[in-house]
Amino acid sequence: MPRAVVLHKEDNVGTLIDSARKGEACTLQGERTGSVPLAVDIAFGHKVCIAATPAGGDILKYGQVIGRAIHAIAAGEHVHVHNVESGRGRGDKSGA
Amino acid sequence: MAKTFLGYARENGAIGIRNWVAVLSIMDNCNPVTRAIANAVDGTIPVTTLFVRGQYGRDLEITLDTLGGMGANPNIAGVLLVGLENEITEMVAKRIRPTGKPVDAVTLQPGGTINCIAEGTRRAAKMVLRASNLRRQSCPASALMVGVECGGSDTTSGLTCNPVIGRLSDRLVDDGGTVIISETSEFFGAEHLFAARAKDEAVKRAFLDKVTSLERDAVARGMDIRGTNPTPDNIRGGLSTIEEKALGAMAKAGTRALSGVLGYGEKPAGKGLHFMDAPAPAVENLTAFAAAGCQLIFFGTGVGNPIGNMVSPTVKVSGNVNTLRTMADNIDYDASAILEQGAKVADLGDGLYDYAMEVASGTRTTSEVLDVRETAISRFQPTI
Repeated sequence: MPRAVVLHKEDNVGTLIDSARKGEACTLQGERTGSVPLAVDIAFGHKVCIAATPAGGDILKYGQVIGRAIHAIAAGEHVHVHNVESGRGRGDKSGA
Repeated sequence: MAKTFLGYARENGAIGIRNWVAVLSIMDNCNPVTRAIANAVDGTIPVTTLFVRGQYGRDLEITLDTLGGMGANPNIAGVLLVGLENEITEMVAKRIRPTGKPVDAVTLQPGGTINCIAEGTRRAAKMVLRASNLRRQSCPASALMVGVECGGSDTTSGLTCNPVIGRLSDRLVDDGGTVIISETSEFFGAEHLFAARAKDEAVKRAFLDKVTSLERDAVARGMDIRGTNPTPDNIRGGLSTIEEKALGAMAKAGTRALSGVLGYGEKPAGKGLHFMDAPAPAVENLTAFAAAGCQLIFFGTGVGNPIGNMVSPTVKVSGNVNTLRTMADNIDYDASAILEQGAKVADLGDGLYDYAMEVASGTRTTSEVLDVRETAISRFQPTI
């Protein structure tokens, strides 16, 4: 079974340390136990959502905010640049 | 018990881990001669540079300080400067002479390429013969100044190689040594955690000022830094945002107090953990570490970045099992047991600290053996 590392109890993402296919149950290790069924294929090193997150909600890894959900993300979905937005160094959003 | 290694004692009491003669370009038009001399004389390294002609003000001062800093680095037994003319050449020479090490120079004017290569080869050969009389002796780990870097990062970096390097940082600081972390933009999103480790309010303010100034500059230019940092290969490796990258990158600095904040290539005044304000890309960042006097660099990599520094041997650490398979030629230390076998970060970090003493005593790194080494000094103003 593919494995995902969760770094902090409050995190809503885990990091896959194996490549995984849609429908596989991903085993959580680190600060969480249990498993999450994957909604899509997820590559080695990429993140899986482990707790449903609303649009605009914080994405938490290391117990810290690493970005904001662009739209609602369900558990088992791939969490990456298509649905997470950085809040830093964003001159395009400075209203200039 | 504090660690020891076998190093070279320099005239000023500093300790080198290599005993090279540096053939050092004063400006870009000297590089062909620098390479020709270094190719002709075993025991030398070519330290090339771009630009310099037409630089002025703060930009020129930083460049000359960086060139001088690389020459002054304790890994260098002696320096042969290769200049176009005497005046700028002397501005670098005077920055190296206080170390007490031999400093010599040749210039392209008036004799031209062939004469300059011939005379430079003769003088470099003499310097190498003299340097080869020196023997290694036992030195305390406290004599080491180490730069910690990451490049070609992915999500394994924050889980494996960077915390392993962080353990080494803590061990070296505890043994009385010096550690420098840099890459200012790679604190965006993690700066509050690092600032909390500052030894006092002044250091905290100085660190936060460097990070916020850089971000303010990008925003004022209307820039969206996504796709530049994190880079396309970082994103392919699973890193989604600069905040995520920064939280993993910071692990290289371990857990000890932040003692001081440095400018580009600036030498720390004391021991302990320091932050250097310098651009994140590896070549220009490692060049700044070498100029500050780092004898050794630890470089965490995920998807893989092979480049090392010319003056300061660079140890590549990876915990990505795929990279260790595809890019094994370029990795010095395997930290994949953390994710593959549940090994402890502290155990691999202690192993890396042992390995640091070996490299400091003469064990060579992949970037030295394969000669994948480069020098680049950051620019801070336009040329006139």
